[in-house]
Amino acid sequence: MTRAIHAALAAVIATALPAAAGADTIKVGVVAPFSGPFAIYGKQYQEAVETYVAQHGTTAGEHEIEFIYKDVGGPNPDQSRSLAQELLIRDQVDYLAGFTFTPNALAVAPLIEQSQTPTVIFNAATSSINKESEFYLRTSYTLWQVSAPLAEWAYDQGMRTAATTVTDYGPGIDAENAFKAAFEARGGEVVDSIRMPLSTTDFTPFIQSVRDAAPDAVFTFLPGGPPTFTYTKTYNENGLAEAGIKFLGTAETEEVNLQGLGDAAIGLTTAYHYSGAHDSDENRAFQAKLTELFPDAIANWASVGAYDGTHLIYQMVAAAGSDGPAAVEAAKTMEWESPRGPVKMDPDARTLIQNVYIREVARDEDTGKLVNRETGVIATVGDLGWDK
Amino acid sequence: MTLFLNILVDGVAYGMILFMISVGLSVTMGLMRVVNLAHGGFALLGGTFAHWFAADLGLPFWPALALAIAATVALSVPLERVIYRRIYGFTDLQQVLATIGLTFLMIASVNLWQGSSLLSVPLPEGLKASVDLGFRTLPVHRLLVIAGGLAVVLGLWLLLERTRFGIRLRAAVDNRGAASAHGIDTDRIFMAAFALGAGLAAFGGVLGAEILPIDAYYPLRYMVLFLIVVAVGGMGSIAGSFLAAIGLGLLETAARYLAPDFATITFFALVIALLALRPNGLIVRTS
Amino acid sequence: MKSWIPPLALLALAVALHFALPYNLAFLTRILIMAVLVLSLDLVLGFAGIATLGQAAFYGAGAYAAGLFAIHAWADPIAGLLVAGVAGAALAFISGLIVLRAHGLTLIMLTIAVAAICHEVANKARDLTGGADGLRGIRMEPVLGLFEFDFVGQTGFWYALAVLATVFAFLTLLTRAPFGLSLRGIHESPERMAAIGTSVYWRRVAAYTIGGAIAGIAGALSAQVTQLVSLESFSFTLSAEALIMLILGGTGRLYGAVLGTLVFMFVHHWAAANDPFNWLFVIGALVLAVVFFLPRGLVAVPTALKRLGGRDAGT
Repeated sequence: MTRAIHAALAAVIATALPAAAGADTIKVGVVAPFSGPFAIYGKQYQEAVETYVAQHGTTAGEHEIEFIYKDVGGPNPDQSRSLAQELLIRDQVDYLAGFTFTPNALAVAPLIEQSQTPTVIFNAATSSINKESEFYLRTSYTLWQVSAPLAEWAYDQGMRTAATTVTDYGPGIDAENAFKAAFEARGGEVVDSIRMPLSTTDFTPFIQSVRDAAPDAVFTFLPGGPPTFTYTKTYNENGLAEAGIKFLGTAETEEVNLQGLGDAAIGLTTAYHYSGAHDSDENRAFQAKLTELFPDAIANWASVGAYDGTHLIYQMVAAAGSDGPAAVEAAKTMEWESPRGPVKMDPDARTLIQNVYIREVARDEDTGKLVNRETGVIATVGDLGWDK
Repeated sequence: MTLFLNILVDGVAYGMILFMISVGLSVTMGLMRVVNLAHGGFALLGGTFAHWFAADLGLPFWPALALAIAATVALSVPLERVIYRRIYGFTDLQQVLATIGLTFLMIASVNLWQGSSLLSVPLPEGLKASVDLGFRTLPVHRLLVIAGGLAVVLGLWLLLERTRFGIRLRAAVDNRGAASAHGIDTDRIFMAAFALGAGLAAFGGVLGAEILPIDAYYPLRYMVLFLIVVAVGGMGSIAGSFLAAIGLGLLETAARYLAPDFATITFFALVIALLALRPNGLIVRTS
Repeated sequence: MKSWIPPLALLALAVALHFALPYNLAFLTRILIMAVLVLSLDLVLGFAGIATLGQAAFYGAGAYAAGLFAIHAWADPIAGLLVAGVAGAALAFISGLIVLRAHGLTLIMLTIAVAAICHEVANKARDLTGGADGLRGIRMEPVLGLFEFDFVGQTGFWYALAVLATVFAFLTLLTRAPFGLSLRGIHESPERMAAIGTSVYWRRVAAYTIGGAIAGIAGALSAQVTQLVSLESFSFTLSAEALIMLILGGTGRLYGAVLGTLVFMFVHHWAAANDPFNWLFVIGALVLAVVFFLPRGLVAVPTALKRLGGRDAGT
């Protein structure tokens, strides 16, 4: 609980605040969707947080840590702000976390500035969020971070022409810009840039247009769930793979929906910061604990974002307790081995500097399941979109 | 020329799915005068059952499809008896509210049963293949969709024009009171028509799952699209629904080929223009 | 029941809630803002009989107008409300000219299409609106130059309550004025009103326009309090939820709109907090229960109870 809130509260309401629950308990408020079409994100965050807690106990340094979860429903900045306000004032949380959608994250900027609350973003991937407040820290990735290295890799593999097909909204346009800038900087040519309506799930026209243009590769960005499913199917069914037009994506083959894509997904190439099949002890330990606690859970980017976010919060609490500015300061120099690989906090952008892997979907011989097989590390990069 | 053929093939396939799902809605809205926002829910139920039979229980595609339709119809009958029968007499707004409530319950049930992730229905190998049309390849599945849509049109036409059920149904639609007076059991006719609509929605939902994928929020995601087809086609008109579905399918597909950036705006602007010019739909049932 | 009792009771309830839930002011403020939107829908639907599922178009237009006005012109809250009201009214008037020529399902579809186009335009005009990231950078000046928007949300709450009360009073006067009475007449029997020389079409356009202005004001409140506007303010979900709240409370009576909003938001808040994954069950069941057992909405509860009590006394 910071002084700013105390002052504000005391000034207006003449009632005494309830005594802080146990002087040594640090509370973390998690704002995420637990209902509606995006409920899966909230569920994954909570599972990942509880996995971390099961591995590392409920204390960080000398402090007990307690998590409080709030349902924001979907992209809804009004609700996000009102929940954050409730968490800060009634529950007196010292840290905020979660945030799947960019508007929801942005809506709390004025609050965390005033209350000096470190806010760890588990997903929301627009670079510029962190410019709105010094108290934002991000443990996911940004679209520039994965799209630009992918473009360079594609050029190095000998692809000279590409088409981009992205969903026509903020993140899609970020991805398109990043890919285009990096691909053209190398000397490649983007022959067609198609922006597809957000509500569409029939992608045949766009994919047929790409096929007729016959570039070396098609780069795409889609929101998760139904669109990805029909897009990858259509890509295969309309014979783009046979025509030699390589599929280049980012989050499209994420683990939760991967099995649903079926054999159509085999051979799809993506660049991303986390694969469930990443070969490391940290990843194996994380997944073992996760599936021990939640047998149906599947680890993907959302879980690892929340897992690393929880790690970051533990480290900040250990270093600075409930002192927000000191905690952010301490976080700026942190680095650790995450299930995704080695990561390091970028002190300016407050986003992780991490490996970007090139992966190809394949069927695992042992389990018979589809996996994102890492075929190489493309680059270790910070937030390339920070200066754009 | 290739572009034109592309638009034609893809637009018709898309339109057929819209038709299969919407035609049941059009019949119930024209017949029972009920604004049934929960109609997409029956497509969802069909898709969910098909997913369960095929993916979870391991049945082949065709039996799974048949069982899914049967299960949806079996659910729709008690729903009609217990809930819809009472809704018929409500005002428009109460119907909207009641059927939204039903939609919520359907979504919540599927969510509880199968979760909120994608519910895919594995296709048999034969349907996954693609055929060469000369100017491009087309998935066999799309051909099935087109054939399915044509079969539904033909079947409905025969049913309504050539059977006793059809004659009674049309009589009941035109004048319920007179039909009852002539000894037609309108209650049973309504129930049968409702079950037919639900079955068609399930059929269209499963066949269309490759283009409009099934997940718990399906009814809300596509509610507006289905309602637009009915409004543009004219309530209660099968020919109207067919024209509207194919027309809108072609139109949206053309917009996606020619001006992808403005496809959504173009689509809604044209819908507004169409509805402003023909407020009762393309084909107005004469009664 | 005296007609001034329900609104006064609601006002007392709002003040009581403020002191009962001092840590939930942001939530209470959202209820107040939503109530303004639902009131606008009550005028359009409850009084003028225009069935719409696109009221969010004007809410969103007001929100973006207020946000852009605050960023680029003047950050005074009241001025922002007025600008948003004009924006909502203008959009309602222009779209109403086309939309209100239709009836029934066609009318509903047209209103949905208008909101969908607004959503897409705001998404496209990314440089101006921020697109899917939301319109940011809204920093409001104090209300009336006196009351700063504070951290706890005191100013936001009283400001929204004042606006709600003003809108409520305005609508009370409007619906009792000859204009309001003629709207009721149109709702009940358009043919008769046309026969006695009332232009049904233009009255409906006028009601739609005023409804648009009020919805715009609701949007502006949300933009000013949250300091961010997102594309969701144009969403179909918002229109549909507002409609549910209205019918839940009871159409054609202003306090019904407020009551419906209050009950829906509290049930949602409670259900989503306890079992977010399954809260749709609760809302779905609530909605069905109201339609089947209280077809005239929650405002009919006292009457229903009275009737029940009377019957009991009689037996």
